[in-house]
Amino acid sequence: MTKPTKSRELILDILLEVLEKGGHSHVILRQALEKYQYLEKQDRALITRVVEGTLEYRLTIDAVLDRVSKTPVEKMKPVIRTILRMSVYQLLWMDRIPDRAVCSQAVELAEARRFHGLKGFVNGVLRSVSRRKEEFAFTDWSLRYSMPGWLIDRWKERYGAERTEGMLRAFLETPPTVVRCNLDRASLAEIRESLERQGAAVAESPFSPQLLELSGYDHLESLDAFVDGWIQVQDASSFLAGQAAAPKAGDRVLDVCAAPGGKSLHAADQLAGTGLVVARDLTEAKAELIEENIARTGYTNIRAEVWDAREFDPEWEGQADVVLADLPCSGLGIIGKKPEIKYQVSPGSIAELAALQREILSVARRYVKPGGRLVYSTCTISRQENEDQRAWFLEQFAEFEPESLAGRLSPAVEAESLREGYIQLLPGRDPCDGFFIAAFRKQISEKHEI
Amino acid sequence: MAIRQVRTIGDEILTKACKPVKEMTPRTRELIEDMFDTMYEANGVGLAAPQVGILKQIVVIDVEDGEQYVLINPEIVETSGSQTGVEGCLSVPGKCGQVTRPDHVVVRALNEEMEPVEITGDGLLARCICHECDHLKGSLYVDLVEGELMDQDAEAAEDEGI
Repeated sequence: MTKPTKSRELILDILLEVLEKGGHSHVILRQALEKYQYLEKQDRALITRVVEGTLEYRLTIDAVLDRVSKTPVEKMKPVIRTILRMSVYQLLWMDRIPDRAVCSQAVELAEARRFHGLKGFVNGVLRSVSRRKEEFAFTDWSLRYSMPGWLIDRWKERYGAERTEGMLRAFLETPPTVVRCNLDRASLAEIRESLERQGAAVAESPFSPQLLELSGYDHLESLDAFVDGWIQVQDASSFLAGQAAAPKAGDRVLDVCAAPGGKSLHAADQLAGTGLVVARDLTEAKAELIEENIARTGYTNIRAEVWDAREFDPEWEGQADVVLADLPCSGLGIIGKKPEIKYQVSPGSIAELAALQREILSVARRYVKPGGRLVYSTCTISRQENEDQRAWFLEQFAEFEPESLAGRLSPAVEAESLREGYIQLLPGRDPCDGFFIAAFRKQISEKHEI
Repeated sequence: MAIRQVRTIGDEILTKACKPVKEMTPRTRELIEDMFDTMYEANGVGLAAPQVGILKQIVVIDVEDGEQYVLINPEIVETSGSQTGVEGCLSVPGKCGQVTRPDHVVVRALNEEMEPVEITGDGLLARCICHECDHLKGSLYVDLVEGELMDQDAEAAEDEGI
């Protein structure tokens, strides 16, 4: 019989995939946990915690290792540095695992991966870290909050030191999973009862009674409330974008970048069985994901389609009451959920994304009916992709004007800018992902200047 | 000391019932040594004689609990409980699948000195005893897999990154 997989080997494999091969942590973690469903709940929780923690604190961890090891982290073999990184995370942030256990497991792992010669090195480095823990209280924000300096500088300039530090802190906390209740399917009380019976901790969202914050569950996809389509994962910030879209009975809604479908399904819900939502995305796989969510939740006024948002579709010209444009972005607002984003983003990649957003917006605006609405949103915190894009859009397309969001969003959101039709949500200040929403209205007396 | 060739699924020998061992001979001792070497080399936790092409009722096990078990002419005399988990086999390379096994087994056998022993196994050891004893009857875990047989690709991938 072959050797069964152990939690720490799995952690190592997942981290290698993300840190050395640029994989997406949430995808790889989910695939691994799905594949090894037989693992005990506590093993699964350990795997998730160590993977996410190691990614969150990678810059800090590397600084610790570079102080202790003669070989810099960059020069180490990928397997060895990954073993050391995951072990330092456990030494410094997980008190319930004894240091000696962390060290011996690391040595075992090195041996299992055929690095017999480096067992002494691994052991020596980790024992030093364990002995010298108090040396590693960093004052520099980049190392304390494990965030690239250039991002901190940008945010400090824009939002000031205090708000930036609040944001950096919030990124290191584990946000709850927010779900929108499908109240056509079951009552709020039934949904809560079902979730709690299966061991999830349920809290009300400050934004809406229709949203619940979940934590402490093992596997979302196996909860009855999920399987039966009573709940749909949708962060509060994205729910606010849905409120900004506010389709009314009978409206035709086009979502140009819809996967996995949260906002589209929300729109279908708001339409209460009337109208039509067409949820588009680039690939077959993404459209299938949307289809799955449609089938599970049972809405009948929505369908998924494969369509490249950069391609103009004449069939829809001037046909949509509401266009949803939640576009590809740098994702800086969801660093709390996908920590590797902060190491992968660069000023260059932000500029490329901004160009893509403009290309898509130039097409998407042509679908809006005179008097209709376009809602632009991103899950990022970068002026270039947000406020600057809004200003560019208004300047470029004179047939659009900003549409006030005052009084339309949840009362939990307050901002001067709502009257001008946009809002930047910030983690630490707002209890949700970092997110940007801007609403535009197409004037009825259309100026034909296309 | 030698590493023997591990027979893989499709080889007829894996489907045959094994004969009991009547006496300990130098050849059999050597076989047992080789079975341990072969098992460790392949990163296994258990190996049965038919997997190296010998139709004798011999099993070696090391589930890293500090013991090396040699089971000759084993007979499972008691089982209870149940565990469901992913299992793999050195004779079915690159694959694994979910199998339900007893969580607790008691096995009677002879050790290397042909002395009767009784071993109690829980968890992984119980699973491994069942898996290896099945080999002696000519059956493989693939017939017990619930759902699909899956690819076990984890190991190979990261070695190339070194």
